[in-house]
Amino acid sequence: MAAAASAPPPALTFPRPIFAAVSSHPFLQAHLSSDQSKRTLRANGRTAHEFRTPGINTGSLTHCNGSAVVRLGNTTVVCGVRAEILKEEDIPGTFADPVLTAGGSDDNDDSADDGNEVEAARLLVPNVELSTGSTPSHIPGNAPSTFAQTLITRIRSLLHSTRLLRASDLRILHQPSTNPEDPDVPAETELKGYWVLYLDVFFISIDGNALDASWIAILAALRDTLIPRAYFDEEYEGILCSDSPKEARRLRLRGLPVPSSFAVFEGRQEAEKGDGEDWVLSDPDAFEEAVCRESVTVVVDCASAGKGTNDAMIRRVEKSGGGIVNREELKGLVKRAIDHWSVVEGALSGRA
Amino acid sequence: MARRTFPRRNNAPSGGTCAPVFARTIKEPGYLQTLRPSRSRGSNELRKIFLQTSIIPSASGSAYLEIPSSSPASKSTLIPPTSSLKITASVQGPKPLPRSVPFSPSLLLTTTVKFAPFATRHRRGYIRDSIERDLGVHLETALRGVIIGERWPKSGVEVVITILEGDEDGWWGDSGNDGSVNRGGWGLLNVLAGCITVASAAITDAGIDCVDVVCGGVAALTRDPAARDKKELVRILDPCPAEHKEIVAACAVGYLASRDEITEIWMKGDVGADPNALVEGATHAAVGSLAVVKEVLLEALQAKFQGPMEGNESGLKRKAQDVEMTG
Repeated sequence: MAAAASAPPPALTFPRPIFAAVSSHPFLQAHLSSDQSKRTLRANGRTAHEFRTPGINTGSLTHCNGSAVVRLGNTTVVCGVRAEILKEEDIPGTFADPVLTAGGSDDNDDSADDGNEVEAARLLVPNVELSTGSTPSHIPGNAPSTFAQTLITRIRSLLHSTRLLRASDLRILHQPSTNPEDPDVPAETELKGYWVLYLDVFFISIDGNALDASWIAILAALRDTLIPRAYFDEEYEGILCSDSPKEARRLRLRGLPVPSSFAVFEGRQEAEKGDGEDWVLSDPDAFEEAVCRESVTVVVDCASAGKGTNDAMIRRVEKSGGGIVNREELKGLVKRAIDHWSVVEGALSGRA
Repeated sequence: MARRTFPRRNNAPSGGTCAPVFARTIKEPGYLQTLRPSRSRGSNELRKIFLQTSIIPSASGSAYLEIPSSSPASKSTLIPPTSSLKITASVQGPKPLPRSVPFSPSLLLTTTVKFAPFATRHRRGYIRDSIERDLGVHLETALRGVIIGERWPKSGVEVVITILEGDEDGWWGDSGNDGSVNRGGWGLLNVLAGCITVASAAITDAGIDCVDVVCGGVAALTRDPAARDKKELVRILDPCPAEHKEIVAACAVGYLASRDEITEIWMKGDVGADPNALVEGATHAAVGSLAVVKEVLLEALQAKFQGPMEGNESGLKRKAQDVEMTG
């Protein structure tokens, strides 16, 4: 860097985009290590700890029970939730009658172990589509890329491991009007079917951090979802729904897990400086993701912790690609994720 | 309905699921009819068009088109109302062809049209079906006549269209009980016209040389069963198929207004003795959407050139903050 004092040869003065494309790693390092001001800025003008604030718009799709459009800087995602009915005879697998095991405690089943029920019956069908021209690297006509498959697997496992949805919200129950065995005793409630939620995530534009964006879109769409009241009609011998919005209900989500992704930028050793500094960048964009190898995703949930964000719950930690982030570093990342949680929560509740 | 499973995706339960059936639609025969939308526009009046370019920074050109439904959505029912048209287009390229591709003296155009699974009343799959491929071919025909391909030898360009919400083929209430209504995919014509318009805006946004801005337009012949004379046909521009009980014929064109040329024409139904009237109507509709496209492109251009001008004043400051790099 000291060599800049002498007049630099004009051949080396490239415009910024060309410099970024030709030598991306030094470009970002030069940005981060320039200490002319108090705060070092990344190439995209954010500080290392700065997330992009999500912009959320819900209910814009006609044929969905719930939908959301989420913008995270230049990453734009559309998520549509569509509820369809899985009939009793089509339920795959066999498990203990869920109605009996849940004990009818519908409103207070936070502890009920119904995650297995949602997963075994495949009541949630999440899918992502990246090949919408959203990025030059995903051209349509091919099978889903490894990246798309990884992304959707992470989303699905997050959906199931956080037990976000209650099986009781998805059951369609029926109490027969007459009991064939004993007319005096009211008949037992039967399970007639399930609601299956198709979660389709379409990327309009990708600029990094696809997981956070799609998860926020799924959360926003699920919070927007209105499930019609479904009942078994004995005369029709099938499941019918009421089209009155007053009878429909929202899904009650368990908590509000929000992922925060970080990318670790390993500074290269420079002869004069001697040390290679490392930076952990919050919410990396596509350019940073291409330069960084190590990535960390921390999923935290502060919804159950009452008002404050003091005792948050860590729902998941994913880390891959390197050994820079140690235990101390990870503690700091969890703190950053908790700070980010309240921002996302605010945006989801329309306060941002 | 047997459901296809898609490899490398999350699939629905193998037994298949079915869309909810709303009780009032089968128990109260008259109820459905109260939801039927009707055309409130004049016969030559187009729906409003919303267009925006440069929505995808990583693509060389992109555009988003939305034609909101003209009939107001009812708040008293959960049955989805008539959908509006929402389409995004993304242009990737022109970029050099891979070495394995034989020499091409002009630009190779590839168009892909895909419906989102939530685009229509019936859930769609992830693999392109014949309808989507058909639309892609029609769109390619419309665009090929406009692009000056000789300026990009040995290059290829991808035009990717995603339909987030498509126009419907007819009023959804007619599909189940009333088989007499001709449901010949009228909505597709609107979708194609929208695709042409939005792709054209995206191509211009990408700076690919064209002979003109091609625009899509649709006209239809409808028969009004309530009218006195049942044989009388009415020609309407920009039909919303759900609003009409019977569409006799319809036509979509890709039209170059300043050259008065048509690059693509798709006609369906019983046109009768005078197809020219229908084609002419469709070109009128195309001219209507051209007005919007022109305005949007002009605004985008002005924003592009005004940005650096304003930036010039703060340019000096910006330079001082620039990061020093040597190497």
